[in-house]
Amino acid sequence: MNNFLLSALIFLPIAGSVVVLFLPSTFRDSFRWISLIVSVINLLNILTLYNNFDRQVSNYQFVEQHEWIRMSLGNLGVLSIDYLLGVDGINMPMVLLSGIILLIGSISSFTIEYRQKAYHSLYLLLSGSIIGCFVSIDFFLFFLFFEFMLLPMYFLIGIWGSEHREYAAIKFFIYTLVGSILILIVMIGLSMSVKDPFFSQEMGRTVHTFDFRQLTDFNNFIPHSILHPYEKQMIFGVPARLFAFILLIVGFGIKLPSVPFHTWLPDAHVEAPTPVSVVLAGILLKVGAYGFIRIAYGFFPDIAYQFTYIVAGAGVISIIYGALNALAQEDLKKMIAYSSISHMGFVLLGLASLTLEGVNGAIYQMFGHGLVSAMLFLVAGVIYDRTYNRLIKNFRGLSSAMPYFTLAVAVAFFGALGLPTLPGFMGEFFTILGGFQSEILPNWVSMLAMLGIVLSAAYFLWTLQRMFFGTFWANSNQEGKMQDLDFREIVMLYSLSAFSIIIGIFPSLIFDISGVSVKAFLNGF
Amino acid sequence: MLEKLSHILFSSRLLLPDLLFGVVFLAIVATIAFSQKLDVERTYRLFNMLMITVLISSGLVFYALFEFYKQDFESVSALFGQLIYLDSISLFFKIIISIASLAVLIHVWVLGYKVVGEFYAIFMALVWGLFIMTMTTNWLMLYVSLELVSICSYILVVFNKEKDNSEAGIKYLLFGATSSAIMLYGISLLYGMTGTLNFVGQEFATFLSQNPTWIVQIAVFMTIGGLLFKLSAVPFHSWTPDVYEATPTPIVAFLSIAPKAAVILVLIRLFSSLSIDFRMIMAIIIMASITIGNFSALWQTNTKRMLGYSTIAHAGFMLVGLLATNPIGIQSTIFYITTYLFITLAAFLLIDLMALKTESYELESLRGLGQQNTFLGLAAVIIMIALVGLPPTVGFTGKLLLFTALWESYQSSGSNMLLVVLIFGLLNTAISIFYYIKIPYYMIFKEPKIGVRYYPIGFIRNGFLLIFLFFIIYLFMSPSGLINLIESLKLA
Repeated sequence: MNNFLLSALIFLPIAGSVVVLFLPSTFRDSFRWISLIVSVINLLNILTLYNNFDRQVSNYQFVEQHEWIRMSLGNLGVLSIDYLLGVDGINMPMVLLSGIILLIGSISSFTIEYRQKAYHSLYLLLSGSIIGCFVSIDFFLFFLFFEFMLLPMYFLIGIWGSEHREYAAIKFFIYTLVGSILILIVMIGLSMSVKDPFFSQEMGRTVHTFDFRQLTDFNNFIPHSILHPYEKQMIFGVPARLFAFILLIVGFGIKLPSVPFHTWLPDAHVEAPTPVSVVLAGILLKVGAYGFIRIAYGFFPDIAYQFTYIVAGAGVISIIYGALNALAQEDLKKMIAYSSISHMGFVLLGLASLTLEGVNGAIYQMFGHGLVSAMLFLVAGVIYDRTYNRLIKNFRGLSSAMPYFTLAVAVAFFGALGLPTLPGFMGEFFTILGGFQSEILPNWVSMLAMLGIVLSAAYFLWTLQRMFFGTFWANSNQEGKMQDLDFREIVMLYSLSAFSIIIGIFPSLIFDISGVSVKAFLNGF
Repeated sequence: MLEKLSHILFSSRLLLPDLLFGVVFLAIVATIAFSQKLDVERTYRLFNMLMITVLISSGLVFYALFEFYKQDFESVSALFGQLIYLDSISLFFKIIISIASLAVLIHVWVLGYKVVGEFYAIFMALVWGLFIMTMTTNWLMLYVSLELVSICSYILVVFNKEKDNSEAGIKYLLFGATSSAIMLYGISLLYGMTGTLNFVGQEFATFLSQNPTWIVQIAVFMTIGGLLFKLSAVPFHSWTPDVYEATPTPIVAFLSIAPKAAVILVLIRLFSSLSIDFRMIMAIIIMASITIGNFSALWQTNTKRMLGYSTIAHAGFMLVGLLATNPIGIQSTIFYITTYLFITLAAFLLIDLMALKTESYELESLRGLGQQNTFLGLAAVIIMIALVGLPPTVGFTGKLLLFTALWESYQSSGSNMLLVVLIFGLLNTAISIFYYIKIPYYMIFKEPKIGVRYYPIGFIRNGFLLIFLFFIIYLFMSPSGLINLIESLKLA
């Protein structure tokens, strides 16, 4: 129990952020190194965590629990909020992914020249809160980090973004804030409906808890509470639990994002600077997906089972709609943004299938897409850094001028469109397999999802053909600027490629971790 | 006769700190009256002396109150023939008001406002009126204290005698007088129905329930009209933006918290003994206040005016706990008020500091200020997200507690209306982010105008702001102390 590894993961970046903030500006060249070193240490810590993770146990491990706030609510009992961290098979892959992507992001941040101090301070703050969000297993703490990610993100997009950054930043902020308010409503309702059995007995009064472990247990619900699973309470003529579930899927659906709540994403991505896009696509979207699994499905399994087709439908619509939109884009970054929406749809489909394959596949897809989308945005960043232009039609035949770059692009594109041995394939394969095996979902849902794979092959290959094949040409005589990758870019793109290939060939690296926990998770349905 | 005299003596002794305010008020008035034809330097020295007197007396009162508070008030002391109730909750609110006035006086001092001596006298009287208001359970005393507060506020608002200032003053006066009249009418109706002036007694509740509900609702609504005016809640809000824009900032800061705290305590006392269902009207007032406040603030280009609309929205949030009509609702209201004290005072201090740098309250003038002065930029972010109610600030804890209370009330009563208010109120915070974030947005995102001269702020002023920021964060990190304190309060 005496384990501070998880706390270290959260507080090292936050401490780094404070250090950067208070260092005088004469150290401006060292800020990027501080954020790099912090990210490296964090990744090493995460790898230790990954190594020592017990793959046979479905419970939370490395649990840290400290009493934080005990608020007496008079005769209603006590509101108990804990500083409670832990990892299991569902969030461990996400923590690992965060470690990798945040390191890549901090390498990518080396190109930022404008107001470095503020940038790196915010970046480290964002890193800390992202990891905090994944490892918290107290709903209040989770929500805290979930909300807290917004502010640094808002500033990172709004200050360092391109032309319409301010519009994109405020749109991102308001959309996600609405989402988190919906989650907050459910959080209040849940904590008021659930009591902690041990503490309640010990203290002799009702202890309302936010502990994930207690919230999933139906026996802990207080009789006559609104969200009680067996007493069918109604809100506006809708079952209360269904109401809460819908609030949650809208809330996390905005973050994911799922069609029709996706419109902030293309704006935010297009305007954000490359490292921020990488973090946004690589990790932040996964926070939404993680919320779906852990909170929407984890706390409301009865409703989720009944209404899983809503989630599957949203997933399939996201897949097809995102892909069709990607097909129509002229801006490379926008195309990648829409492809992200499409690929996150598979996560929803896999989860909604409620089969072992599907949910494992969803987690794998989250991990794989995290790596691949980070690569894709780095690719877009490479082109943008050289020409300040991202339109697909402005480039042709880049393969002859930039062979190393083209190799990385090929890995990224094929990884995304689902070539076997690369991560996209396994994720899509397992989620669709789950969809077919599922007793709840009709087969045509999964067939429609397969259409999405075809479409994603179409837009990626078409883009590859338009931009990289043929005779070398770049618009407005910018051919001279198209040098091949420098050392920093090679490190980022090739290490991500290596990670992707390893994960693609050895999917058991993820499945071993998630398997037991997912099995336990599915027992609840 | 002798008994009555000894009762009065006993009562006066318990109210010594309050009476001290009266003495100081008279002393200041006397000093000003008898010291004519002073040269400027001596006048300023006199003002400084007055300032210090006020600060020390506030400090003394504060300390005395605290000592009072520490003794456990098991029984409520009904003073002056039950006209005044001294209980722990009123002492708590007096402490809040003392802190607010102290902070406002320091605000006046560190920002170097040139005020005349009468300011202090009137300010003293205003605080005194608020103190009486926290203890009153009698319609007559309530009206008297409310008028004392109102008249002092009218004068303070027009203190610097500028043109738009007097326009705002007239508006304030007219609206105030009208709502006082409405309140008086409501009180007379209630007195006619119940035959008692004491509004917390059993008698009041019993007689009230014998009347038709809708008549009682109308009478109560009219009665709280005067209180809602002080709270700047809809439909008695329309004076707020004009007055806030035209009045010196420290006075606005004071008006945005101290009278509201006192009024909320009166409402808490009233609603805890109200025997009719008043929730529907409350729900409408709350939703209207939050919506009108937030939506009107969206279009503002003047920071003070924007904060004026924001206080209308916050008045709605303050009432949410009363709508919940359970003990935790009351506690969370008190918690919200206490924390809002720090947030709102900080917000007004912030815009005043920024105005000191740029000599303007317009949003446009804030361009690039955060880039030039990182501390102000950071402070703006913290204060504004505290006003929205986002973690890691105490604004979040306050809203969380309020809506937890509302949920609990919904769970036990099953009234859908409460859930509507809950969802409505929370979604409104997403609208409010749009205008609150404008201040840090202009400060940090926009490039500074070329050739603008910034004035330095100075260490003491920054330090003063830092104290508020500390409380905004600290109370989020460990709210337990304050919550336990509030829980131990006993209502008469």
